[in-house]
Amino acid sequence: MSRLPRTPRLTLLGLLLLGLAVMPLVPDWFPDQSWVTNSRLFSFTQMFMLITLASNWNLTGGFAGYVDFGHTVFFGIGAYGTGILMGQGWSFWPALAAGAVFAMIFALMIGYPTLRLKGPYFAIAMLGTFVAMREIVRVWKGLTGGGVGLTLPPYLNRPLFYWVTLILSVIVVTLMWSIRRSEFGASLIAIREDEVGAEMRGINTTVNKITAFAIAAFSTGIVGGLWAYQNTFIDPDIVFLQSRTVELVMMSMLGGLGTVAGPVIGAATIYWMRDVVWANFADYHLLVEGFLLILIVLYTPEGIMGKLGSKNAISLQKLWTRKSPVEEESTETQPEEVS
Amino acid sequence: MDLFLQALINGVILGGFYAVMMLGFSVIWGVMGVINLAHGEMIMLGAYFAWFLNSNYGVDPFVSVLIVMPVMFLLGYVLQLVLINRVVDRPILASLLVTFGLSIAIANLAKLVFTADLRISDTTLSGAWAFGGVTFPVTKTAIMGVALVIMSSLHLFLQRTRTGKSIRAAAQNKQAARIVGIDINRIYALTFGICIAITGVAGAVISPVQAVFPFMGTPLTLRAFTITALAGLGSIPGALMGGVVLGIVESMIGIYVSGIGTNLAIVASFVLLVVILVTRPQGLFGGLRPHEEPAQI
Repeated sequence: MSRLPRTPRLTLLGLLLLGLAVMPLVPDWFPDQSWVTNSRLFSFTQMFMLITLASNWNLTGGFAGYVDFGHTVFFGIGAYGTGILMGQGWSFWPALAAGAVFAMIFALMIGYPTLRLKGPYFAIAMLGTFVAMREIVRVWKGLTGGGVGLTLPPYLNRPLFYWVTLILSVIVVTLMWSIRRSEFGASLIAIREDEVGAEMRGINTTVNKITAFAIAAFSTGIVGGLWAYQNTFIDPDIVFLQSRTVELVMMSMLGGLGTVAGPVIGAATIYWMRDVVWANFADYHLLVEGFLLILIVLYTPEGIMGKLGSKNAISLQKLWTRKSPVEEESTETQPEEVS
Repeated sequence: MDLFLQALINGVILGGFYAVMMLGFSVIWGVMGVINLAHGEMIMLGAYFAWFLNSNYGVDPFVSVLIVMPVMFLLGYVLQLVLINRVVDRPILASLLVTFGLSIAIANLAKLVFTADLRISDTTLSGAWAFGGVTFPVTKTAIMGVALVIMSSLHLFLQRTRTGKSIRAAAQNKQAARIVGIDINRIYALTFGICIAITGVAGAVISPVQAVFPFMGTPLTLRAFTITALAGLGSIPGALMGGVVLGIVESMIGIYVSGIGTNLAIVASFVLLVVILVTRPQGLFGGLRPHEEPAQI
């Protein structure tokens, strides 16, 4: 992939996107075909959602190195925000926007204390946020319907959701691409490589981290709202699904942490793989996914993009490096010897 | 006043209960630097094992400890050699993800094998002792007793025996321990085995008082993390104190905040976790790893 020159690569990408964009129209043009069915469109819709989610996760997890085990909390807030407001009589689009704003506000609130934590402490604090939020949603029956759940007004229009999620994923991936090339993206990567050093060079790490977190939360909230309306029913267990977080981590890692294309490739691969596993053994798919995560960590820590030789891909080895006390001492003394 | 005293007693008993469940997590992290996110699932496996022996053969959970302990030790030993050993020297994220994957896999395997129904074991130790206005539930007090026995024997083992001293040496300085001839792989496998055995026993003894189901693990892992952060890595008195603090907080919330009951206990422990990590990152009691700063802020 990296061997192709830039222009043919962009042409191929454009053709692929065009093909995806016209796919829902195929049944109108060829009424006899049986491949583009509503369930097929639904599958693609889910895949676009996962691409968006994984790209968002990668913004804080891959670019900034703040690996988050509770990212699904923003998905849940988006879904519940949309669902509750629609229950109050709002129409869908304003409710969706409000749900995403709720997710972003929550990210600002929770990010302020938790983003001060490092490495595993941040990852687990976010896992805690996620579990805590699920319990709050379960207990706050007056607002969320508790364990009974909420039913949204049914609205069956597969092509519409297909196009909306396709456009959203293209926007988000383009955004990630431009962030990666901007000063903001460079600051995030500086934070990942050496936060103290970045701070000393005059990068306001707090503002950068929280901005990245809020952007990711906002578009994750949009996906949550879309998902809720498409599925028409939400309850704490299906919205706050722990395995969704695992999948986001897996997708970004399989594709390549810290790259723009990585989460897209990872999400597409894992989605179709899961589709096959799910179709054949529904009961085993989470079991399979758990082991898959282990295998990815053990054998492909740098992901598909890393295998392809992309220089942006970072290996797991670079995140939260473990140093023994002896090594720490030797690295500390080295600069002194030089000077 | 009686209500307050009762809440305090419940909290202390709950804390002993937590302390024994979380001890293994804390020691593994302290010695090996591995955060075992499958910890709650190990408690679950111990609990299911005890429930299985109880419902099929009528073994009392407090007796089945004798069978659960060696089996879980073996499981931990093998897991360390096959899986954890491959990530123990890699960045913490690698071990975190591997144990995260393991926890999802084990929870879903348990769902396939045991179904998602809630289970509970029967025990002959039931009822409550009343003293004045307060009561002591017998089963929970017995669990507290088991907790104290396990903690003091682990403490003695780590302080007095040769193997225990090797474990502490490996925790403090791996290179130096290797230089003086300690077989690090064996020490790690032993540590993991012992900690998983303790964890399994904890699961077995709580099976009469806590509903056993496949997805009970994650909240327990989070509490383990909270208690360890509160206590300092691998500190045994710290684990007890951390457990008791969390237990008192949770039982006070259950009694004094009406309409919420124990459902929001996990929220309380999460808030406690963030407050502690932000204000006192080194924990309250120090621990096995004097060189390492647990959380840099």
